[in-house]
Amino acid sequence: MPLLQVENLQVTFTVDKKPVPVVRDLSYTLPAGKVLAVVGESGSGKTIHALSLLGLLPPGASVRRGDAVFQRKHLLALNENQLRTVRGQQIAMIFQDPAASLNPVLTVGEQLVETLRAHRSLSKKEAWKEAITLLEKVGIAQAEKRVHEYPFQFSGGMCQRVMIAMALALSPDILIADEPTTALDVTIQAQIIRLIKELQQHSQMSVIFITHNLALASQVADTVLVLYGGLCMESAPADELFLRPLHPYTQGLLESLASVQTRPERLPAIAGQPPVAGEILLGCPFAPRCAYATDKCRQELPPLTKNGAHEVRCWREVVK
Amino acid sequence: MVRYIARRLLLLPLVVLGVTFLLFFLTQRLSPEMRASLYVKDPRQMGALEEVIRQYGLRDNVFKQYGRWLGQVIHGDLGYSPSANMPVSRALKEYLPATVQLAFVTMLLVVFFGVWFGAFSAVHKDKWQDSLARIISVGGFSLPIFVLGLLLLMIFYGKLGWFAPGGYSFQTDLIIHGSTFKTYTGFLLIDSLLNGNWRVFWDVLSHLVLPAVTLCIGSFALMVRVMRSSMLEELNKDYVRTARAKGLTPRQIIYKHAGKNAIIPVITLASIQFIRLLGGTVIVETIFDYPGIGRFGVLAAQQLDIAGILGFSLMVAVLFVLGNLLSDILYTAVDPRIRLE
Ligand SMILES: Nc1ncnc2c1ncn2[C@@H]1O[C@H](COP(=O)(O)OP(=O)(O)O)[C@@H](O)[C@H]1O
Ligand SMILES: [Mg+2]
Repeated sequence: MPLLQVENLQVTFTVDKKPVPVVRDLSYTLPAGKVLAVVGESGSGKTIHALSLLGLLPPGASVRRGDAVFQRKHLLALNENQLRTVRGQQIAMIFQDPAASLNPVLTVGEQLVETLRAHRSLSKKEAWKEAITLLEKVGIAQAEKRVHEYPFQFSGGMCQRVMIAMALALSPDILIADEPTTALDVTIQAQIIRLIKELQQHSQMSVIFITHNLALASQVADTVLVLYGGLCMESAPADELFLRPLHPYTQGLLESLASVQTRPERLPAIAGQPPVAGEILLGCPFAPRCAYATDKCRQELPPLTKNGAHEVRCWREVVK
Repeated sequence: MVRYIARRLLLLPLVVLGVTFLLFFLTQRLSPEMRASLYVKDPRQMGALEEVIRQYGLRDNVFKQYGRWLGQVIHGDLGYSPSANMPVSRALKEYLPATVQLAFVTMLLVVFFGVWFGAFSAVHKDKWQDSLARIISVGGFSLPIFVLGLLLLMIFYGKLGWFAPGGYSFQTDLIIHGSTFKTYTGFLLIDSLLNGNWRVFWDVLSHLVLPAVTLCIGSFALMVRVMRSSMLEELNKDYVRTARAKGLTPRQIIYKHAGKNAIIPVITLASIQFIRLLGGTVIVETIFDYPGIGRFGVLAAQQLDIAGILGFSLMVAVLFVLGNLLSDILYTAVDPRIRLE
């Protein structure tokens, strides 16, 4: 029994009274202590999928179908009160813009303490002590002093460390990290990734690592899932995906990674634009950009075919 | 911060000089005879006009007269107010606390209900609670103060007789000017409590309620709007999502997280409104015959009591500058980003 099992998740936005799917038929399993990377271009539905698991969808969005089973709980069917015990305590989340994700008028300590006290019966004094320990754990120097400072007194990387400390406060079973380094400098990025990885290995928690960077994903993850237009295009163990990508989209992503390394002056991407939510109705969403696309691709959505742990959604693989 | 305060304080004399000189210049449009006649009580003594004019140098050039007035002001002498029948400085000392008290109670009401209503309205955006709050605030916004004042006067004083308009009751006046009543702060609401005199407290309070409610209305509507939009903005921010993801309760999210940020612009607005109220209670004080500085100013203006008018404007100018300064300090106190910069 995996720790988290997502099945046929479908999330839609209602735009002009019409449902627009942004996550389509998404299924995956997350074993305990493993890292799953969800990779995709901006707008592919990564964030929305994660928010739906915690019942944090913005107004206008709703889960249309699907199930997410976590420790025998059906997450998508829980009410607000039940969700509150899951949020922060069992599944914690950190976000893309760490500076904006912290409350500007509360000290870092206050925000840590309230998290601790929301789920555990700690005295204020104990909670503050714990907050300092947590800051030390994520590598913030002079934690006793800094615990009384405000987020604007921290750099972006430091804010993300605080967010991580907050997420780890209650030793959750799952950490969802939504592009945790996108807003940070490259050198800081590496530090944060290392920190997450260390903490993950140390506490044996599971991580859903959301990123648009396939290289990063293959570094940290056990399994990688490639999302395109709200659909899972390919999913495989990280090294397998890196060595033997089956989907033209994944292949394109890997090629563009390789050429960034050899010719950094030209930032190649796959020609064309990712689909706009709402336009994708028929066929494979990648077809307009795909070199191998046939009429069939444009008219009929390929199914997800399974070969061991390697799944891919492409007609070329079905035919084989 | 200290430098900022110092700069603001340096501005104070400039504003005061500007305002008073302008008014002084305007009063010079009146003939010296007219200005002198204010101080002559008995019509039979009109012959003494010329003597008054000479004694006070009313024919001198305007700068000389202004300089003389300024010299007296520096020594704490604001002249004698015929309309209030006492020295201007004493009149200010007596009436100003009543106005500050009125403005303060008004602002308390406005902030308390405005913040609450605005937040409530934002949390229930586009539901009936929001519409109700909007109707009330638009209604309040479009109701002229004198109409509301007169309405309240008719209902609560005329029909129900609950509250009293006009100056304090005769007994209260006797008590507060008597020898046993000690003046600590000048604010009767506080002083009466400190003296343990409930009678005076209730009397003062009952004179305060209707003018305060009347003054509330316009500011209240504005406060609700500002709080509502500020709250809506904050509720959409990333840190609110974080707060939800941590498993906090809606209460904590609304009050502690969004509310604490949303209230920052409200505080600025409230302090600006408070200052405006100090100089803007004129209409309400006149309607309710409330013994504050606004009523003093109106009486002085009606009777061309120049010393009174100048004293009133001097006071209001000082209050404006100090009030603005206070509002800035308050603003920095709530926002750590500014406080610690
Ligand atoms: N508030 C919204 N209203 C309508 N559509 C939205 C809204 N937020 C996101 N979407 C749509 O949902 C899709 C997925 O968004 P998101 O999950 O944020 O993408 P990602 O995190 O992969 O960049 C996007 O294509 C976007 O068009
Ligand atoms: Mg995103």
